[in-house]
Amino acid sequence: MSVKKIETQKFVKKKFSEYYQKHLSSIQPPTLIEKREFGFLMFKGKVMVRHQSFKDVNGLTKSLKTLVPSDAYYSSAYYERPEEKMEEKSWLGADLVFDIDADHIPTSCAKIHDTWACSNCGIVGKGVLPEECPACGEHKFDEKTWPCEVCLESAKNETVKLIDMLKQDFGFSSKETNLYFSGHRGYHVHVENEEIQLLDSMARKEIVDYIIGIGLETRLHGLIEEKLDQSRTHILTGPNLEEPGWSGRIARGTREFLSTATPNDLEDIRIKKKVIETLVQHKETILESWKEKRPWALVKGVDPASWRKIAQHGADTKSAKIDTVVTTDTHRLIRLNNTLHGKTGLKKMEVPVTGFESFDPFKSAIAFKEGTLKIIVQDAPKFRLEDQTYGPYKNQQVELPTAAALLLLCKGMAKVKEDK
Amino acid sequence: MKELDLKIEDMSEPILNRAEHRIEEALFYALVSTELRKEEIEISSFPVAVMMVASTADKLMKKRYALAEAKRIYELLEEESEDKILEVTRVSNWKIILVDNKPPCEFALFFTDCLRNATRFQAKGWKIVNRVVSKGEVYLTTGDVTRLLQEEVHVHTEKKLDVKEKIVLPQSFTNRVERLKQAFTEHKGKIELKGFPDEVVISAFPPCVKHLYGEIASGNHLSHIERFTLTSFLTNIGMTAEEVIDLYRSLSDFKERLIRYQAEHIAGGLGSRTKYIPPRCDTLRTHRVCMDMDEICRKVRHPLAYYRRKLRTIKAEAPVE
Repeated sequence: MSVKKIETQKFVKKKFSEYYQKHLSSIQPPTLIEKREFGFLMFKGKVMVRHQSFKDVNGLTKSLKTLVPSDAYYSSAYYERPEEKMEEKSWLGADLVFDIDADHIPTSCAKIHDTWACSNCGIVGKGVLPEECPACGEHKFDEKTWPCEVCLESAKNETVKLIDMLKQDFGFSSKETNLYFSGHRGYHVHVENEEIQLLDSMARKEIVDYIIGIGLETRLHGLIEEKLDQSRTHILTGPNLEEPGWSGRIARGTREFLSTATPNDLEDIRIKKKVIETLVQHKETILESWKEKRPWALVKGVDPASWRKIAQHGADTKSAKIDTVVTTDTHRLIRLNNTLHGKTGLKKMEVPVTGFESFDPFKSAIAFKEGTLKIIVQDAPKFRLEDQTYGPYKNQQVELPTAAALLLLCKGMAKVKEDK
Repeated sequence: MKELDLKIEDMSEPILNRAEHRIEEALFYALVSTELRKEEIEISSFPVAVMMVASTADKLMKKRYALAEAKRIYELLEEESEDKILEVTRVSNWKIILVDNKPPCEFALFFTDCLRNATRFQAKGWKIVNRVVSKGEVYLTTGDVTRLLQEEVHVHTEKKLDVKEKIVLPQSFTNRVERLKQAFTEHKGKIELKGFPDEVVISAFPPCVKHLYGEIASGNHLSHIERFTLTSFLTNIGMTAEEVIDLYRSLSDFKERLIRYQAEHIAGGLGSRTKYIPPRCDTLRTHRVCMDMDEICRKVRHPLAYYRRKLRTIKAEAPVE
C-alpha cells in the first residue's frame, strides 16, 4: 500500500474514532448480547478480529472505542459460548436474516458508475464486471463500486416485495420484522421470532426459494387445463388476483405485465408472433376480464403454453432478489446497527417500515454532519448527499462537507490534502 | 422409557418378544405390524425396541427400523378421521387447525412445523413455494398431514436411535439383539455399501461439477459455494487434498496456503475433523450452481449419487475384451 493510501486510511480511522467517541450511546446492542459472537474488521491489514463476546453493551462500546474498526458485525446466531472456536461455540439458534444488495439485482443504471481494472494488464472499464478481461483474458480485477440512487431504489423495490411476503405469507408481525439500511448498497431485514430460531439451513433454504420463487410451478397454483363436463375439450383455468400467497402473486404479476408489455417484451419471453398479435388486439378485453372470468381461457389464439410463459414471467416480477447465501447461513455475521460502513462512512440504521417508500438513505444515514474537509479527488461520479449534488470530479482539489469527503475517501477515490 | 416411567427390569417376556418382533419385521419386511389388541405391550415394546436397535450401533439397521416405524404410523392414520389426526398432531406440539374454506385442504399448519419435515421430501409439490401459504400457515390435505406425521415419527425415531455412548443392556436383551444382528448380517449377504474406485472418472461427473471443473481448469474464478462444491466432491470421490490443490494452481489468485487450508479442512484433516460432503442438488439449485440437468440428474438428489450411478453405466457400457 502506498504512503498516501496509508495516510488516508489513518485519517479515516481518526474520523471514525471521533464519531464513536461522540455517539457511543446510540449503539444498540442486539437482543441477548451475551449469546452473540462479534467480529471487527480492522483498518490495518483488513484483518477480521472474530469470536468476541460481551456480557453487556458497555463491553461492546468500549471495544468500538478502543479498536475503532472499519466495520463492526455480530452473529445472527445465538451461542452457548460465543467466544470459543466455531466447533465449540454450541449453536442455540439464529435469527432469520435477509440481505438485499444492488449487486444481486439487474438495475436500469447497468452499474455504469462501477469501475474495474484488470489486475494483470491494467486495462480499465465501467459497468458490471466482465467474465474475463477483454484485453488479456485475466479473471481478477480491482473493483470500485458506487452506491447510486438507481441501485438503491431497485434494492428498495425488492425489499418492499420481501416485506410483503414476510408479513402476508409468513405472518411475521411488524414488531418482529426490522428493516435496516446497510450503509452501502442495500437493505437488511432481520426477523427475530422464537419460532424460527431453530430452523436449520435446509428449512431456511426453502424460505429463500419461496422469496425468490425458485422451483415455482404455475400448474401447482392452479394454472391447468381442466376437462369440461361431458365434453372432450379442455379449458385453461388459473389463479385469481385476490388469492393468498404465490397464486395471487402469479395472477397480479400476469395482469401487471400484460398491462404494460410491448410486443418486444412479449417476444423476449419467446411468445410467438401470431400470439403477440392476438394479445395486442385483445389487450383491453384481457385486462377487463380479471373482474369476472379471468383471462386464462378468454381469447382464442392464445394457447396454454403461451399463457404459462406469461404467468411465469409475471411471477418472476413478483419475486424478491435476496442474497441466497446470507439467509441460509445460520452462523452469519451481520453489520451492527448504528455503526459505520467502512466503504462509505454512512451508518447502518433502522428504517421504519411505514414510510419506507420515502426513506432517503443519502439524507438519513449521514453520520458526519459537521465541518468540511479538503481532499484531492482522482475520479468521482456526480453524486448527491442531502439536497446538495457534487461532482463529477477528476484530479482536482476540493473542499467538501465531511460526509461527502469521507464517502470519497472510503471509496478510495480521493486522498487527504494536508494543510501545511 | 423414562417418559413412560418404565424400568428395564420390569420388562416382561411378552414385551421383549414383541420388541424383537417389531425389529425383525422392520429389518426383513420393511414394515411393522399393528397389534392393537394388546395395547400395553404395543406401547411399551416401542422404547424397548428402540434401545435394542440403538445398542447395535449399526447404521443400516437403525435406518431401516426408523423408516418402518414411521410407515406404520402412516398406515395407522390413513384410515383415521380428521379429528383423530388432529389429536395425534397435539403429541408433537404442532400448531395446526382444521379449516373449511380452502378445499381440497382441510388443515392449516404453522410453516415451521411443516418445513421441519417437508424439507426431506423431493417432490416439487412439497416446496412451500408451490403451496398456499398465508399468515404463517401452510394449507394441507389430510393426506399431506399424515405424510408429515410419518416423517416426524421417522426423524424422532432416528434421533432416539442416534446414541453416541455405549448402551449396556441386561442379558435378556443382549441375547435377542445378538440374534437379530446375526440374522440381519446374513440377510444383507454380500451387498455392502461400496466406496468409490481409486481412479477419478471425469466423464462420470454430474454436469454441475463438470462445469466447475472446466472453469477451474481454464483458470476461471469460482464463488465460495462453487469452490466448496467442487472441493468436497473431489475429496469424496477419492482425490487427495494434494491433488485438489494442484488443480487450483492454475488460478490467477492462487494462494497455496489458503487453498491448502480449505482443501484439508473440507477433506476432514483439520479442525473439527468432519469430512464435508457436497451440498445436495436442491441446495445447488438455490445457489444457482446446478446447470444442464440430464436424465440421471432427474433420478438423483445428490451429486455423489449421480457419480455412483454414472460409474455403473460407464462400467456396463465398457467394451468386453
